[in-house]
Amino acid sequence: MDFSFSEDQRSLVQGARAYFSGRYGPEVLRRLDLDGLCNPEIWKGLTEMGLTGLLVPSEQGGMGMGLVEGALIAAECGRVALAEPLVDTALIAVPWLISRGDTEALAKIAAGEKRVAISHVINPWLNDGDGTPLESIDPLRHLTTVEDAENDPFLLDLGALMSAAQLIGVGDAMLSQAVEYAKIRTQFGQPIGAFQAIKHQLANCVGAIEFAKPVVWRAAQAMQDALPLAPVHVSHAKFAATDAATLTAETAIQVHGAMGYTYEVDLHFWMKRCWALAGAWGDRAFHLRRIDHAVLGGEGNKWPLAIGPEHTFS
Amino acid sequence: MQLTYTPEQEAFRADVRAWMQANVPREPLATLECREGYDQHVAWERTLASDNWGMVTWPEAYGGRGLDLIQWLIFEEEYFRANAPNRANQNGIFLLGPTIMEYGTEEQKQRFLKPMAKGEVIWAQAWSEPGAGSDLAAISSRGVRDGDHYVLTGQKTWSSRAAFADWGFGIFRTEPNSKRHKGLSFILFDLNTPGITRRPIRQLHGEAGFAELFFDDVRVPVENRLAGEGEGWNVAMATAGFERGLMLRSPGRFQATAKQLIDLYRKHESHASPGAREAVIQAWGAAQAYAYNTYAVAAKIIAGGKIGAEASLNKIFWSELDRTMHRTAMQLLGAQAELKRFADGTLNHWLEGYIFSLSGPIYAGSNEIQRNIIAERLLGLPRLGAG
Ligand SMILES: Cc1cc2nc3c(=O)[nH]c(=O)nc-3n(C[C@H](O)[C@H](O)[C@H](O)COP(=O)(O)OP(=O)(O)OC[C@H]3O[C@@H](n4cnc5c(N)ncnc54)[C@H](O)[C@@H]3O)c2cc1C
Repeated sequence: MDFSFSEDQRSLVQGARAYFSGRYGPEVLRRLDLDGLCNPEIWKGLTEMGLTGLLVPSEQGGMGMGLVEGALIAAECGRVALAEPLVDTALIAVPWLISRGDTEALAKIAAGEKRVAISHVINPWLNDGDGTPLESIDPLRHLTTVEDAENDPFLLDLGALMSAAQLIGVGDAMLSQAVEYAKIRTQFGQPIGAFQAIKHQLANCVGAIEFAKPVVWRAAQAMQDALPLAPVHVSHAKFAATDAATLTAETAIQVHGAMGYTYEVDLHFWMKRCWALAGAWGDRAFHLRRIDHAVLGGEGNKWPLAIGPEHTFS
Repeated sequence: MQLTYTPEQEAFRADVRAWMQANVPREPLATLECREGYDQHVAWERTLASDNWGMVTWPEAYGGRGLDLIQWLIFEEEYFRANAPNRANQNGIFLLGPTIMEYGTEEQKQRFLKPMAKGEVIWAQAWSEPGAGSDLAAISSRGVRDGDHYVLTGQKTWSSRAAFADWGFGIFRTEPNSKRHKGLSFILFDLNTPGITRRPIRQLHGEAGFAELFFDDVRVPVENRLAGEGEGWNVAMATAGFERGLMLRSPGRFQATAKQLIDLYRKHESHASPGAREAVIQAWGAAQAYAYNTYAVAAKIIAGGKIGAEASLNKIFWSELDRTMHRTAMQLLGAQAELKRFADGTLNHWLEGYIFSLSGPIYAGSNEIQRNIIAERLLGLPRLGAG
């Protein structure tokens, strides 16, 4: 029993974080928003970092990592509100294709030559397709309609897990933006961050995010280990991460005052990602229902969840 | 990340489970807040200690079993699974014990830890004063040096179990005219020392769960001071960290409550609101989240890390979860919620639990103070200035 990340996992995260923060600030998001989202250099960079092939087996030229590493990287994508559909291709489509034994496209994905996004009936559109465009409130999501969407539960769980992980990064980022703003904006002769009404709201966000994190990591490990109850843990993760990020989005804009209501301040990119991901791959009600089924479904239910102090990990 | 137990850990769990099955009293004990209940709970401490279950993480020399934090968590899970009684000695084993382990001299460890683990000496925490609650640095009780003794004067209050306990640990101003955090010392004293008057305080449910303590020239040997003279504040903050952090409220307690709440919901489903249903599901989720987080903290400590201001996050989380779960139970019980005993004579433990849950956000440093700590220490937000 060891609920901690390995040295390798930690350095993977640090590497990705350093890479993103050096090259991928809000200026880039603004430019992409203006230019209509095309800068092939960024995808090239992600490929060179090995991120497109993160979960692709080494035989196909990837790094052969697992879903825990995938979730950690998804969180980093959320942290920078990455516009490129890396999560859709590399962290959702790839493990799904692998689960179906469909390895044809993997080498190309790892090499950065192909992007694959797969749609599920629960959100029948694609982030990065070539159908009719659909406009999302998130200007960095490039949604298009699809003809046939899949209806595979494993795909749904992958999408939900990776959305939950992104929401963790999105939440962290909004929190630090709000904290930085609270330190520099002065009113009544002090930084607004000195006021308890601001402090306590921000402290609530820390609590919500910090207690959602281990739920997400646990879900990632459960999927990685293919536990029969992994879907329940994924729903728990999506639910907890959505609530934490939503609380943080609302708090962060409040802390920014009218500045938070402008396009000029960066916060909106992350808020919009939060709104989009909150409903993607199963909304709050969907995931609540799945947990409900496991917790209250009683005998003979699909996910017979053992409940009690001795069942933390059963 | 490895979220499965080793065969040794599983075997340990089986041992604890078997022991609990054989030893946990069948009938619930009287409340710890009254004389009769206190005595029953102390007897239970001694039963635990008779097989060295008093504090499993402590070295064997101090009455423990030298186990690691994962085993401690397993022990706690089984403890709450078995619905075993509250720990009469929680302030000793969870707060003072770890503090002595860190700051005590070898002589103090020998002297205090074993009787603590064995349930022979029950400890009360004597920090708060009428003028020093949240603002603990406003302490005015004094300890005046007289040769190899301190002479204690002043008043402490809200001291849990002090009406019946054996020893107390307090913070006293030992440097005359010192201000705030300076000049305080952490002093251990026998509650039966001449000059100490205990006045039990009735809590809102009617029992004397805590007490006021009056000190009238109470002579305490200098060797009862923990750490250096004037270092009391730092020691106290370490104790507070143990209190809010890992030990005082282990996850099993809340997972057990969540499970009971789920059972209660099933009984009352026909007249429950949709909101109550969601609250019940969230209770399971939050109790699990708290457990995962605790395992993560344990892993961090095992790897040599420390838990700092994050302890405040834990304290808010468990205390507010506990209150929410009990409030939900009261809503589910509806008209029956007010009954101390149900018509069939069984105890309405939800009512007692709800009342107690209201104190969680107050004791161990109020949740407002915890939010200040998170904002200032974790987020680096500034203190309020003169404006
Ligand atoms: C059941 C129970 C058991 C206890 N057991 C013990 C014990 O064993 N030993 C012991 O020493 N003490 C004990 N206490 C006392 C406890 O530590 C104090 O109650 C606590 O520290 C709060 O102090 P106070 O009651 O004086 O409230 P106050 O400090 O008067 O606070 C009243 C309200 O004001 C708020 N407030 C105060 N200052 C601030 C601030 N700076 N910012 C925002 N809000 C603020 C508080 O959060 C609270 O809501 C116990 C209390 C209870 C309820």
